[in-house]
Amino acid sequence: MVWLVLGLLLSALWAGGTWGVQRLALTIGSISNPSISARGVQVRFEHGGGALLAADALRLGGRSWSRLALRCARARLEASVFHCSDGRVAFAGKGLPLTMALEVDLGTGAARAAAGFDGGGRIEVVLAGGGDVRLHATRLAVRDLRRVASLLWEGGLVQFDALDPDGLLDGQLIWSPEAASAKLSATLSEGAFGSADGLLAGEALGLVLNAEASRRDGGWQWQADARWDAGAAYVHPLYLEAGPALQASGVFAAGRLEVRRATARLDGVREVSASGSFDLNAGRAERLLVRFDGVDLAVAGPRWIAPLVLPAQVDRLVFSGSVSAAVEVRGGGLHALDVAFDAAGFGLRGAAGGAGLALGPLAGEAAWSRSRPTRMRVRAEGGRWEKLTLGAFELDARIEAERVAFARTVVPLLDGAVVIEDLVLAREAGHWEGRGGVVVEPVSMRALTEALDLPVMTGVLSAALPGVRASPGAIELEGALVISVFDGYLQATGLRVLEPFGVASHLSADIEARHIDLAQLTETFSFGSMSGFVDADLRGLELARWQPVAFDARIASSAGQYPRRISQRAVQNISALGGAGAVAALQRGLLGLFESFGYREVGLRCALRDGVCMMDGIEGARRADGGFPIVRGGGVPALDVIGYNRRVDWDELVDRLQRVIAENVSPELR
Amino acid sequence: MKVASSFTRWFAVVLFGLLLGGAVQAQGNLEVNTPAIATLKQSMQQRHARLAPLYASGAVGLAADGSVALRDAGSVPLAQRGQVNGLIAAENADRAALYREIARANGHPEWESDVRRTFAQRWIDRAQPGWWVQKSGAWVRK
Repeated sequence: MVWLVLGLLLSALWAGGTWGVQRLALTIGSISNPSISARGVQVRFEHGGGALLAADALRLGGRSWSRLALRCARARLEASVFHCSDGRVAFAGKGLPLTMALEVDLGTGAARAAAGFDGGGRIEVVLAGGGDVRLHATRLAVRDLRRVASLLWEGGLVQFDALDPDGLLDGQLIWSPEAASAKLSATLSEGAFGSADGLLAGEALGLVLNAEASRRDGGWQWQADARWDAGAAYVHPLYLEAGPALQASGVFAAGRLEVRRATARLDGVREVSASGSFDLNAGRAERLLVRFDGVDLAVAGPRWIAPLVLPAQVDRLVFSGSVSAAVEVRGGGLHALDVAFDAAGFGLRGAAGGAGLALGPLAGEAAWSRSRPTRMRVRAEGGRWEKLTLGAFELDARIEAERVAFARTVVPLLDGAVVIEDLVLAREAGHWEGRGGVVVEPVSMRALTEALDLPVMTGVLSAALPGVRASPGAIELEGALVISVFDGYLQATGLRVLEPFGVASHLSADIEARHIDLAQLTETFSFGSMSGFVDADLRGLELARWQPVAFDARIASSAGQYPRRISQRAVQNISALGGAGAVAALQRGLLGLFESFGYREVGLRCALRDGVCMMDGIEGARRADGGFPIVRGGGVPALDVIGYNRRVDWDELVDRLQRVIAENVSPELR
Repeated sequence: MKVASSFTRWFAVVLFGLLLGGAVQAQGNLEVNTPAIATLKQSMQQRHARLAPLYASGAVGLAADGSVALRDAGSVPLAQRGQVNGLIAAENADRAALYREIARANGHPEWESDVRRTFAQRWIDRAQPGWWVQKSGAWVRK
């Protein structure tokens, strides 16, 4: 239905001249149809074929404008149809950057308009007498559209300005007010956007959108499908490439967009589905639930998870298996997260290139909610820490907003186990801290040394570390780790792992060894043969990449009565360790005559700093010539081993020790 | 071209070393050196060759808190922005570890924030002309 209201008031003004009309003004009053209405409409034909179509007010859809003026270079009136070409449009005195051609039937309100934008794009609009609107856009620049919008209404498309979108639009919109329906098909090519800081950006984008909507029950019921088929985008910190496709349906009413169901196709994910509602005026999600089913971690892990969770370690993270997840957003913030693991594996390769830490395959579920306590129950079929294989274990935890409390966890390790007790992780002052206790149930040294590719030793390793604290950059283990080995024991206290996940990861501890059987020790390390026992202390031991970089070490014969013999080979090796200047106080020839010698005591000290070992020998046994006894002879035959070189390069010392053990290199004697 | 590029990289590394050395020497308690500190410095020096062009282009700036920040990602090609973000995260992880280690090596772990603040000022003072630094919450070009 179209109404022509108030009739026509026609006035012709004859203004001089003899030959014809100089100016013709046609006052129409108002035009109204379901799509558009105008008030104070007037057409004024100018001398020379031009005309001015003006309206005091124009309403289109839910918007209205005042002082519309269409100035036509050429115009004519045929019957009730007004024709305009090469027209320039202005609203409230502001000109639009386009040239317009218009045909409007002043009787029915039917109209056809074609606008050519200065940027080259084109829009054709056909307004049928019944009110239906058909809009066709050809290579319409988004930038031109934004410019026109800014002139047409206050603020324009200001919500998009921060992203500075551009591109070329092609498509068609059909809007039928009578049927209360709309249909849109559009493509975007050469699309781009970018925030000022570059954290949100897209380039060479190609999008295809098809949507339909119909008005029912006070809202617009809509459905749409979209396909991203070209270009790439950066949504900090994620780099995204074309491929995803989306189908969605819902309701739009009163500035609120309801998504009843949406499904998306995403590389590495079997299915993505979502529902939610958005307050478009506030520009935020009131509620959004997104489900990711069958996420292939090998594909999605490096692409989506690593940059979000551990951007500094992207190259070291390893993913396998799959997970499914549900994410719930409320009031613009993350509200809940559920994750189900299916043969999922996670690993962090060592910073120095070692095997690092790996867990999996994992199966089970973990949930987190801002509003209620949740639980995690995950079973790990195994794991690995460097060269050590971990057995299957269960992780059971109660999760509150920023606190995770683990139930007792038993991680099998070789023939023993690592038991983690009362472990609580909590976010405090902006970072995560952990507290708990660790018990290492006895692990045989035979199994451990074999696993670590070390010379096989007997004995057991166990630990009671009741006070474990983890904070950014440090894990401190209060308690003691004890290894019973070589008939004695070795105890480590003050254990701290500093910067555990970084390049400068290092471990510090104080180590005390007592009553170590030299016969077993020297046999294990193929160091010749020596009987007797020693005590040792390593204070301030610091290991970087499992190599000692600092300590104050002291080795001395244990107190007590026991046989003390040292083989010729062991003497040679000890002398070799002393480097140039170490002396076996027997002539080379004489040394060769005996297989073993008696000794009273051995003693060696080394303070390692900056790659240099400052050596000393038996405590309080300095010699006038500056030497320091390492082995003091006793019995028959007896010999002393005396060192003279106090500054020894540590790397050279280690190298020498390895060669002594591996190759039985002859020591340097003088 | 290759020679020029190698020289630029070499020069950047040397310059970085001087910067770091200068920062350390500027205050007694920052002179401390440990194997962990040496490892961190080496790691940062190696990374500096990749960060220097980003400082020069303004993509990355020296923040007031002793970290580096993605100041203008728009000057980095789209496909490389994720890598640059990873580079910055790795640099900041090393820097945080460096500040902690220096505080620990002084026997005062609680000095970490002081060490961080001192280093932040050193980095900014010694930044090359043209680099972007953060002052009073705003980015300014030296």
